[in-house]
Amino acid sequence: MVPLVLYVLLASAMFTIGLYGLLTQRNGIKLMMCVEILLNSANINLVAFSAYLPNANGQVFALFSIALAAAEAGVGFAILIVLYRLYGTIDLDNINALRW
Amino acid sequence: MIDNAISLMIAIPLIAAVVAFLNGKAAKYVALIGSLVPLAISLQMFQEFDKTSNAMQFVESYDWVPAIGVKYTVGVDGIGLPLILLSTIVSILVVVYSWGEEKRSNQFFALLLLNEVGVLGVFTALDFFLFYIFWEIVLIPMFFLIGIWGGPRKDYAAIKFFIYTHVASLIMLLSIFALYFSYRTPEGLRTFDMLTLLEATGDSAIFSPMLLNVIFIGLLFGFLVKMPAVPFHTWLPDAHVEAPTAGSVLLAALLLKMGGYGLFRIVMPMLPNVSTHYITLMAIIGVVSIVYGGFLALSQKDLKKMVAYSSVSHMGYVLLGAGALSVLSVQGAMFQQFSHGLITCVLFMSAGTIQHTAGTRIISELGGLADRMPKFAVLMMAGFMASLGLPGMCGFVAELSVLAGSYENLPIYVLITIFGGIAVTAGYHLWAMQKVMFGPILKKYLDLKDPHSYEILSMSILVLLIIYFGVQPATITDIMGVAAEPLVEPFIAVAATGVI
Amino acid sequence: MYQDYAYLIVGLPILAFVLTIFLGWHLPKGGGFITVLATFAGFILSFGIFKEIYPNDEIVHQSMHWFASFNAGILIDPLAIVMLLMVTFVCTMIHTYALGYMEGDPGMARYFAEAGLFTAAMLGLVFSDNLLQLFIFWELVGLCSYLLIGFWYRKPSAASAAKKAFLVTRVGDVMFLAGIILLYTNMVKLNLVLPEGAYLLQFQTIYDSLTLIPPDQLTWIAVLLFGGAVGKSGQFPLHVWLPDAMEGPTTVSAMIHAATMVTAGVYLVARMFPLFYAAPNGLMIVAYVGAFTALFAATMGLVMFDIKRVLAYSTVSQLGYMMAGLGVGAAMGAFSVGVSMFHLIGHSFFKALLFLCAGSVIHAVGTNDMREMGGVLKHMKWTGLTMLAGSLTLAGFPLTTGFFSKDEIIVTAYEHGAMGFGWLPYVFAIVAALLTAIYTFRLWFLTFDGEARSDYHKHESPWIMLGPLVILALFALFMGMPTQENFYHYVGNNFEHYGVDFDELAVIGGHHVEHAAHVHEPFIIKILPIIIGVGGIIIAALFYSRWKRFDPGMVTSEGDPLRKILLKRYYQNEIYTLWFAEKVVYGIALVSNMIDLKIIDGTVNKISAISVGFGGSLRKIQTGVIQNYLTAVVLGLAVLLILIQLASMGVAI
Repeated sequence: MVPLVLYVLLASAMFTIGLYGLLTQRNGIKLMMCVEILLNSANINLVAFSAYLPNANGQVFALFSIALAAAEAGVGFAILIVLYRLYGTIDLDNINALRW
Repeated sequence: MIDNAISLMIAIPLIAAVVAFLNGKAAKYVALIGSLVPLAISLQMFQEFDKTSNAMQFVESYDWVPAIGVKYTVGVDGIGLPLILLSTIVSILVVVYSWGEEKRSNQFFALLLLNEVGVLGVFTALDFFLFYIFWEIVLIPMFFLIGIWGGPRKDYAAIKFFIYTHVASLIMLLSIFALYFSYRTPEGLRTFDMLTLLEATGDSAIFSPMLLNVIFIGLLFGFLVKMPAVPFHTWLPDAHVEAPTAGSVLLAALLLKMGGYGLFRIVMPMLPNVSTHYITLMAIIGVVSIVYGGFLALSQKDLKKMVAYSSVSHMGYVLLGAGALSVLSVQGAMFQQFSHGLITCVLFMSAGTIQHTAGTRIISELGGLADRMPKFAVLMMAGFMASLGLPGMCGFVAELSVLAGSYENLPIYVLITIFGGIAVTAGYHLWAMQKVMFGPILKKYLDLKDPHSYEILSMSILVLLIIYFGVQPATITDIMGVAAEPLVEPFIAVAATGVI
Repeated sequence: MYQDYAYLIVGLPILAFVLTIFLGWHLPKGGGFITVLATFAGFILSFGIFKEIYPNDEIVHQSMHWFASFNAGILIDPLAIVMLLMVTFVCTMIHTYALGYMEGDPGMARYFAEAGLFTAAMLGLVFSDNLLQLFIFWELVGLCSYLLIGFWYRKPSAASAAKKAFLVTRVGDVMFLAGIILLYTNMVKLNLVLPEGAYLLQFQTIYDSLTLIPPDQLTWIAVLLFGGAVGKSGQFPLHVWLPDAMEGPTTVSAMIHAATMVTAGVYLVARMFPLFYAAPNGLMIVAYVGAFTALFAATMGLVMFDIKRVLAYSTVSQLGYMMAGLGVGAAMGAFSVGVSMFHLIGHSFFKALLFLCAGSVIHAVGTNDMREMGGVLKHMKWTGLTMLAGSLTLAGFPLTTGFFSKDEIIVTAYEHGAMGFGWLPYVFAIVAALLTAIYTFRLWFLTFDGEARSDYHKHESPWIMLGPLVILALFALFMGMPTQENFYHYVGNNFEHYGVDFDELAVIGGHHVEHAAHVHEPFIIKILPIIIGVGGIIIAALFYSRWKRFDPGMVTSEGDPLRKILLKRYYQNEIYTLWFAEKVVYGIALVSNMIDLKIIDGTVNKISAISVGFGGSLRKIQTGVIQNYLTAVVLGLAVLLILIQLASMGVAI
């Protein structure tokens, strides 16, 4: 069995990558992708811990999370498409109609 | 007598407000019924009220949020009952006066009813938590009345009104919390019960002088803003100028009275436990309000603004009377609240009627209206005469009681009031009356005629009440006298030593 | 039996007021007959009560609780009953006359409603049993005066005069109110144990406690109460409203501004005479102000051309006499109340008569200006002759009512001087008497004698107007002689009903007590008023009548500064209205407004602006870019984690 720490390391790495992307990127689609990476890093943790604890709760949560992520991606991309139609760009810096 | 009279009196306008809001067509009829029932209940309460007792009557008390000591406690005594009567009377007359309101009438009448709910709640609540809720509820209808049906600068006025009075309420709330967190009942529980907490302020083991003073100032500030007293009065003219007539009437007749009510219900029972310097402070603010408010009214060009400042001036008598601490003066201050509530309605209704018939309220642009509006002129004249303190009308009784009762303790203040206030008051009323009503009628007003019968009706009823309470003040002053005694009692010994 | 219905004396006119105001529009003559009947019924009642109480020298007193420590009540004593009789009688006459005079005015119903209300208020004032109720009705007659002066409210001058009348008397009323409050407070401080049914401000209670109140307080109370009387009775310096009040219908001038309301001030001082007597210097002030007013107003009466204004100044002057008559009571004691009240009653008859005659003339001629009259007697015999009767009695022609009443005041003023209280009242009174005779007959000659100076309408007034004139003329001429002595005695002893001990009060007030040492005035003093009165009439005749020997131009000319001052009425209008009211009071108002807008509301708005500005700069931090927030969150989290790590390693943070 793969030691737990490796899963955790993988999840940490993915989380950090996702977070980094979230902080630095301006492109809407890239941001969505980063969010997905963050969610998946959490899913990995949930599943890994669930396997090590003999308890299925974690996997249930992971499944929930995946479903939620799909829904979230659906709404998110829909918004991005509308934004693209309206502004011709999905660079979030340019989308500031409600700012100040 | 029906059980739960007070709850019923508060609940019925609330239900009616919802019904009126949902049912656009019949809104005004719903409003009429919804304010008629509380009037009937309050009259019945007045009948059954034990006029010789100063204990709380018609008390209802239920646990609400036991975990934090919040109860639903309501009751009336001689301080609250006259104001309840005033509220129910004025509310229904405002509905009648606004019978012709077309713009979003379902919301309009719903807000009038909601306002009645709020003021009735304030005048009956005996639990600080409940009191504060009702206190804040009142702001909402008034904010919308000004903001939706107001004049050209309604946004500014509505927001200024809301923020100014809300800040004052919050400071008051802090004081209420300070009371709440300082005191535990013998069972070790927290309570919001008003009478318990007020009595506890006499216990110097619980409330250090420093803490009590801070609490006191917070409460006093909250009420002074609401009254309003100089120098916290500037929201009033703006709000009045922009508010629709019904809003102005409710604002001046009922909302200002909440400040005075707080003074009698909360501040005065605390007075014996704090420094007597506050008495001087109240008297000074009262006198300044009377005299300075009078001069301000004299300089106004807008009729409604003039009336608004006259309210500041008249509410000064409440402070002066409360500060003088004799039974007659406190009773007079209470009666001044009542009588000003009636009189100011007529004044604001007059200003409103002039506004919507002649199209302007600028005094210098009006002239000779009596020629075309004789009935209205009589009613407006009656209101103005009552406001300047003509004997035979209730304003005189109130002012006389305040002045006669205050002289012994505060001679200088009374003399300043008499010589600086009364003649000026007569001056601006007569000047406005002459400019607006008398003289040759201006050409542009030739086709005016008397306003709608419902406006005449509501003003006539008010004038009759003003005269009735001017001739038979004992109907209601007796109750006030009984209620004033316990407020004054702790000071009789103090006065004898010449501290005041 | 009549006294049980005493409240109806006020009740009936109030009923008339209500009826005429609501139904008058539909009735002939505006329902005026209702007011006439109500007032006349009041006269019958008053007369019945008089018949009941006069023989046994009783008083009527009824009282009930009003509110707090105040009561409402009816008190009919000699002082009140003579006033009641006079007011109901004169008002009946004037209302009757008004039926003819106001004929055709569209506001007739309003006139009679307001006149009814006035009558009620005036009668209520007279029979009040306490000072507060007196004040209440005092204000109500002021209201009616305001309404009736402004009766023709479409005329700007009438509306303005009404306002002025109300405001100037209001200044007096404010002092009156202050006096009441001061008195009330002093009474409260005495901690009196009152018998059942007695109240603090009742006259009986006041009279009883005069000896207990500190004398300096008494003087203040007296001065303040007198301030009220000064305003109401048009005494210097608050007389300015009375001549302007002539803007109202002439019947109003006759009723309110000559016969009844303006005498309320005198009545107040008479009613409170024991207090004034007990107050050190109280009566002296009354005497000097009254006598000065008598002279001061008479000088202005000399030069006016408006027939009603001459009469108005004459009224002010005669009211001054009444005040002086009370004021000299320092020497005479309560006797002077009788003297002064006698002049009050007599004056009410003849001045109402004069005004009504003037109204009759104005009604026919269509102008107030005497320069456009002349020779009216030829066309209006009855009016002219009744007015002659009024003028004779006003001038103090021997054996008329005015002769008895005014001359008695002058003689008592002499005694006042002779007993060492000061000669000025006497000097003022005697000079004013000369002027009175002159201006009265100047008026009569200018109006009725000589040739017509303009083309005016020439017709006699209808009998509904002449009837009251004739009745009043008979009273004006002949009432004085038969009643004089009884009147002095009856009214002068008014305060014995209350057990007022004037000797005791005199000690407090610092007067001499020398009843027996009634100064015996020389014969010349006794006949001097006759000489002066007749002399004044002759002087007027020499200047203005058909037997004219001199021209007024010989004494005075256009450029004469004295004349200019008189015509300008001593520049009172400039001082009161233009300077005090418009500059000082309105100036303060404008400054207050400035302070309010700039400083007080300015502070509020400033606080608001500062909060908004502060928030405005603070919200720049809120970029709206979520990544910035996220960065902050991550950094914060990192710092927090490091700190926790450090802490767990035992590093002291």
